[in-house]
Amino acid sequence: MTSSWFQDPTLLAAALAALLPFVTFALIMIFTRPYPKLSAALSIAAVSVSLFCALFLLGSHWHLEKPIQYTAKWMISGDIYIPFGFLLDQLSLLMLTIVAVISFLVQVYSLGYMAGDPGFARYYAFQSLFAWAMMTMTIAPTMLQFYVFWELVGLASYLLIGFYYEKFSASEAGKKAFVMTRFGDIAFFLGLLLVLFNFGNLNILDMNSVDVTARMSPALITLSAILIFGGVAGKSAQFPLLTWLPDAMEGPTPVSALLHSATMVAAGVYMFARIFPFFSNSAAAMTTFLAIGTITMLLASTMAMVTRDIKQVWAYSTISQLGFMVMGLAAGSYFAGIFHLTTHAGFKALLFLCSGVFIHEYETNDFFEMGKYGGRGLKVPMVCITLAAAALSGLPPLSGFFSKEAIMGGLAGLHNPVWLWAGLLGAFLTAYYSFRLIFAILFPQKIEKPHHGEHGGHGHGHDGGHHHAGIYWVMAWPLIILASLTLVLGFFQTPLENFLVGHHGGGEAHGGHHAWLLYVAVGLALSGVGLAWLEFGRKGASQVGFIEKVEPISALFANRWYIDHFYRRFLDYFIYGIVSNLFTRNDRRVIDGGIDGICRATVGSGWALSFLQSGMLQYNLMVMFAVLALVALYFFF
Amino acid sequence: MNSLYTYLFIAALLFSLGIFGVFQRRSLIGMLIAIELMLNAASINFMAFNRFLAPDPIVGQIYTLFIMGIAAAEAAIALSIIVALFRRLRSIDIERAQELRG
Repeated sequence: MTSSWFQDPTLLAAALAALLPFVTFALIMIFTRPYPKLSAALSIAAVSVSLFCALFLLGSHWHLEKPIQYTAKWMISGDIYIPFGFLLDQLSLLMLTIVAVISFLVQVYSLGYMAGDPGFARYYAFQSLFAWAMMTMTIAPTMLQFYVFWELVGLASYLLIGFYYEKFSASEAGKKAFVMTRFGDIAFFLGLLLVLFNFGNLNILDMNSVDVTARMSPALITLSAILIFGGVAGKSAQFPLLTWLPDAMEGPTPVSALLHSATMVAAGVYMFARIFPFFSNSAAAMTTFLAIGTITMLLASTMAMVTRDIKQVWAYSTISQLGFMVMGLAAGSYFAGIFHLTTHAGFKALLFLCSGVFIHEYETNDFFEMGKYGGRGLKVPMVCITLAAAALSGLPPLSGFFSKEAIMGGLAGLHNPVWLWAGLLGAFLTAYYSFRLIFAILFPQKIEKPHHGEHGGHGHGHDGGHHHAGIYWVMAWPLIILASLTLVLGFFQTPLENFLVGHHGGGEAHGGHHAWLLYVAVGLALSGVGLAWLEFGRKGASQVGFIEKVEPISALFANRWYIDHFYRRFLDYFIYGIVSNLFTRNDRRVIDGGIDGICRATVGSGWALSFLQSGMLQYNLMVMFAVLALVALYFFF
Repeated sequence: MNSLYTYLFIAALLFSLGIFGVFQRRSLIGMLIAIELMLNAASINFMAFNRFLAPDPIVGQIYTLFIMGIAAAEAAIALSIIVALFRRLRSIDIERAQELRG
């Protein structure tokens, strides 16, 4: 094995792709933290190599017949050992490439966005940590390794959300994300243990084989599948653990682009796809997931309709698109879910990176303000964000259109039409809220000059990027690359499908025999755009959404359906009020009381016995003599 | 008359006297002397057993030499403690040294 380590290009590439970012992380943290430029260069170099390796792997295994798996023993204890290694199959290769591409683009973009930040080197260290954890997780051959790196990804997310740790809300948001996803992860881990004890193995390929049904009862499979799905719900912000993601937008915008939209939150969906055959053993579990995905998708869409914060809109749309992916997968259309994950990674990263340019430029998160200060003057990001929003809404011929159609096709294949209607409603809402934002920036009702002096003079044209043109273009190039990906990715549907499910694996409904569905979906998306145009785009529009006119509903949506309030209440009344109160009492009465009692008993008995000590040396001696004499008697007779 | 039991008897008598002295005397010097008596009783026992039961290796005599050495060291330490006590209490009466009474 070791001898072939350097001779096998596949293994070498996989190892390099996965491990280099970790080396960089260590190097930056230990040596180069005082040198921001050097740290950034190291990190970008490492991620470039990873990108190159990922592309090489994808290219050289395009016609992969069966999965390649390398494992080595790690942590041996007697007969038990934990394997550690790489599993390369179509899914992991695709995901590896997505992660590498987005990481690379985001790191380049960050050169501009984070320029001059005091934590520049730290930022790149965390980015490398994330890249390492995410890539190693992607190509994990066992669920245990998957879980370990899953948690490391969570750690990187925590560190990056709380990157501006001096800001109270940021550190709170980091904590919230960490704790909330932990709830899901507990369920995930319990599910894994259940599989481990009943099936005896956490190897992904074994879990996906038909052996599982032979070794585990259907009820047990359903239970463990639902528990494992808890991890998906936490990481991918599904109902009811969805409220951490909007708060996670406290991190720097490129972080939101990379972690909290394109890659990390998609890890949940990736895990779903990773052990998709295992999940599909249980129809009941799949229906549960379908319901959860639908609820999440609709809830998040409604939340996105009322917020004024540009990053919040994309955060909610991320949640709802993740809901779409879960719906697609749970409806049984494996390819549709993965394809939507792929296209979503592209256009959502693009949306965030574009928003980052606006935020960087106008130093506000409110998109009505951006419009007012002449946001449309920034040509490249404006075009890109419109493209991406159109892709998000599922307008042809952009990538989102194809993947959303695939999911709709999958939903149409189900017996119960409720899911399809919900999906179509979601598509309509998505188009509405995306274009609400676009029109608000593009057609503001009145344009003002920004009142902060240092940003004067970018009312129109390229002036916006004039005074720091270099930084602007560092940020613009990743946008252009992602935008062209968004444009063309949809046309790769057939090759990708062949790659992922094989030629014979068709039979999935998309477009074909649901021609009416295509028109309905596009029509709904267009009517969503039209509604947004009526309310926000046209001349003299009131720029007040139809939801915002109904006070109670808009308050409900703006307060995230009171989910956070519910958690707060639950925490205050149940956890703090009852549980923690009981524990406090237990602590005071039983534990403290017990210790105090022992102390008092010791003191008291000491005091009671102290009369024996008269202080007379000779009495002591006499007792000693008597005892010795008795001992002697005992031993001799 | 000149038998082992004579010596053992004398030694037992001496030891009992020592014990009695230690318990009865209230002066520390008196107690120290009584302890010396007990040590000597033990020495006599060693010598007697050596003489009558195991004459060849003279282990008993070596023990006695050790006991004498230890007695000397012990006397030195005890006397210095007594001196220190005297400095503190202006007395060597054991009944005055009862500060550890419970």
